Amino acid sequence: MYGFHGRLLQIDLSSRISSWHELEESRLRAFLGGIGLGTSLLYEFAPPGVDPFAPANPLIFTSAPLVGTGLTTTAKFAVVTKSPLTGFIADSLSSSHFALELKRLGLDALVITGQAASTVYIQINDQNVEIREAEQLRGKSPSETESIIRSELSSQSVRVAAIGKAGENRVRFATISNEGRHAGRGGVGAVMGSKNLKAIALCGNREVSVADPKGIEAIADSLRQKSLGSLTDKYRKIGTVANLAVFNRLGTLPTRNFRQSTFDDAEALSGESLTENNFSRRHGCAACTIQCERLFKALNGAEQRLEYESLFALGPLCGIKDPEVVLQAAQLCDLYGLDTISTGGTLSWAMECSEKGLLPEARDLRFGEANAFLAVIPMIAERQGLGTLLAEGSRRAALELGNDSSYWAMHVKGLELPGYEPRSLKTMALGLAVSPRGACHNRSGAYEADFSGEVDRLRADPGRGALVAASEDYAAVLDSLIVCKFLRKCFSDFYGEGAELLSKVTGWDCSSDELKRIGERIHNLKKLFNMREGWRVEDDWLPERLLSEALPTGVAQGVGLSTNELREMIGGYYQARGWDESGFVPKEKLMELGLAG
Amino acid sequence: MGRPKALLPFDGAPLIAHIVRSLQHLFPEIVVVAAPDQELPQLAVTLVRDEVAYQGPVGGIYYGLRASVGEFCFVTSCDIAFLNAPLISYLISQISNYDVVVPYLENRFQPLHAVYRRSVMPLLKEQLERGELRPIFLYDKVRTRKVHEDEIRRFDPEGLSFFNMNTPQNYEEALKRWEKMRPSLACTVELFGAARLLAKTREVSLSLPQEATLSHVFSALAGRVPVLVGRVITSDGGSLFSGYTCNINGLDFVRAPSAKIHSGDKIFILSADAGG
Repeated sequence: MYGFHGRLLQIDLSSRISSWHELEESRLRAFLGGIGLGTSLLYEFAPPGVDPFAPANPLIFTSAPLVGTGLTTTAKFAVVTKSPLTGFIADSLSSSHFALELKRLGLDALVITGQAASTVYIQINDQNVEIREAEQLRGKSPSETESIIRSELSSQSVRVAAIGKAGENRVRFATISNEGRHAGRGGVGAVMGSKNLKAIALCGNREVSVADPKGIEAIADSLRQKSLGSLTDKYRKIGTVANLAVFNRLGTLPTRNFRQSTFDDAEALSGESLTENNFSRRHGCAACTIQCERLFKALNGAEQRLEYESLFALGPLCGIKDPEVVLQAAQLCDLYGLDTISTGGTLSWAMECSEKGLLPEARDLRFGEANAFLAVIPMIAERQGLGTLLAEGSRRAALELGNDSSYWAMHVKGLELPGYEPRSLKTMALGLAVSPRGACHNRSGAYEADFSGEVDRLRADPGRGALVAASEDYAAVLDSLIVCKFLRKCFSDFYGEGAELLSKVTGWDCSSDELKRIGERIHNLKKLFNMREGWRVEDDWLPERLLSEALPTGVAQGVGLSTNELREMIGGYYQARGWDESGFVPKEKLMELGLAG
Repeated sequence: MGRPKALLPFDGAPLIAHIVRSLQHLFPEIVVVAAPDQELPQLAVTLVRDEVAYQGPVGGIYYGLRASVGEFCFVTSCDIAFLNAPLISYLISQISNYDVVVPYLENRFQPLHAVYRRSVMPLLKEQLERGELRPIFLYDKVRTRKVHEDEIRRFDPEGLSFFNMNTPQNYEEALKRWEKMRPSLACTVELFGAARLLAKTREVSLSLPQEATLSHVFSALAGRVPVLVGRVITSDGGSLFSGYTCNINGLDFVRAPSAKIHSGDKIFILSADAGG
């Protein structure tokens, strides 16, 4: 087999037994790797209705066919599990050397089940699996954990993914971190914590074979060249933080818990200002020519990586205008292993509740109040005081607090919204409402249509359904091959070029139609998983605030989104998907995609 | 012509003032070389006079280079009304490996719309001493970049940059053309991301002809912020590279260079990729 190893390693932490299993080529061809393979395995390994924190909930790490081929931006891996935040699928991507090492183990997937009796970490050295005690690592940050394990194993080549305190304490939006990068969304770190698993340390030596090495080399050269051109200027020259200033001007920067879509102090926080005033260095994943990562200098001298989503969520969303405070908050999130978007989203909910007098124990927690804001983040990770409530995420916290506070909980299916204002990006509004993993900007790039001029971003229409479905399928293929989305514009015919690439890696005769169908299959299987876990049509919806309040400022002032508009767009989406009117996947569609039975 | 060309009324000012105004956005320093007794209006420039009268273009170029401080200078005459900023930027962009960059249009060099490195001054001085008053004698002796007609017409299809006013009829024609082209539409370009970092400014105000399109915006912006040419704006000044896009007034995303612009429009130039 080319491009894959055709093997899966299962480790059960309760019994401490590990076993290798064959992965059939037909399955790999149907779902590829990454998110696709992870979804397929989740459907198989997770008992229906399993509690996300139950030992039986599998925590799945997957590799992908392009990993290790030398193609730029492909050093990535996926983590898939049932989310403790949403109760549906959690599929997160992370990247860099850990991804390469995972593939060097000679496997395509690592499935972890069970629960260790005490805190442990897993060491996999080529074919040998060892479950090692890790009480000494409790309370350590992911980066400290990485250093200690390397030192303990006397190996600088070992690659480590770890959780911080937030994961240990089952904060429902805890991350899994490796080399400063994170599988961030959906609480995959909390699932790892629930298994008493602090870290995974890998060291492998199996190289992957590809069917047509020369052909791959030629494509790799071409993509490398394109990745250094104008199409990636944004990521190479300033990074994703570039979004903040322009989103503000376009009236699509979520501010103060989505009360507004513009922030008066946006310029001070902008990527351009950060670059001028705080830039420290540029960095990137292994095997990446784009190097989008930006590290900024904080006043305490530390370097902090910052992306747009962290900047928006820990800045304007919470009314914070001082870049220094945002950098400190991002440092804390990384230290404890917290998803920055859900941290900002949950805190902005708490700020609004506090201002309404619903949180008397947190009177100082107000929009823009830096000290209270910074003080609460460790409390979330430690589950102390108010942090006990906030560690549950905005949906559960609002249900517990009551008093109509759910109105201010800005989530979809329990996952807090990312930094794209739905009222002024109508295609994105639909994408967020229907996404299987909740409010997500990664599993579809629905905002692309809004930013392209292809549609009127301020107006809703049922035709957006087809655009969102196409964008989801496209993302499913990118996330399963895996290719970084920041390279996507370098393809002029993605499905054609992607099929050629896959054929040269695997030796399969893959067509662009087959690749499209794979994307559709993966997305439908995610939906099928959610249906099995209790999905109802009401879950595909947006927070009430977005449907009740028009935007008060900026170029989109007066623009809202009505329930009828959203309902019509969702109807158009179900139709485009070939689903029934209530959003369920009919048998015929399952049969068409090879998912029946 | 019968009257001093530099003082011909043009766009509400003497022609020399109009020329200086056209070049001010492009260059930090402007040197005007005048005859010993030539009458000129008040100008915010470095003014030098020919040391010896009647030494023709070589004298003018030599005294101008001598008075300037930069490594190289763009040289033009005082009877050109239609200076084209993108073309001038392009000529300057070619100088790095040359001593002279000179357009070649309709089978002749255009020495008074060219870029000269200051290092050629000794050769010009020798020419003056020998009485060789035509600049083309210099071109064989130094590294000369001949800019061909197809390159010129990419920026200036009608060749108006070389339209001299030698007769009253030429002057009348220039006035009529100017009336049609006269900037009468004001708009603002707001720069974001990599474009802002390059330009080192957030926004640029532009005056454009009536009936202006996005192409005029790019072209005028290229003139005002030459560093964007070849990075954000294509080398011909007429469009954006594919990594960039435009939004007008925060509402419409537009890329087509033919899109119409209206007075007061705010044109955002941003990355074409909104991923985060």
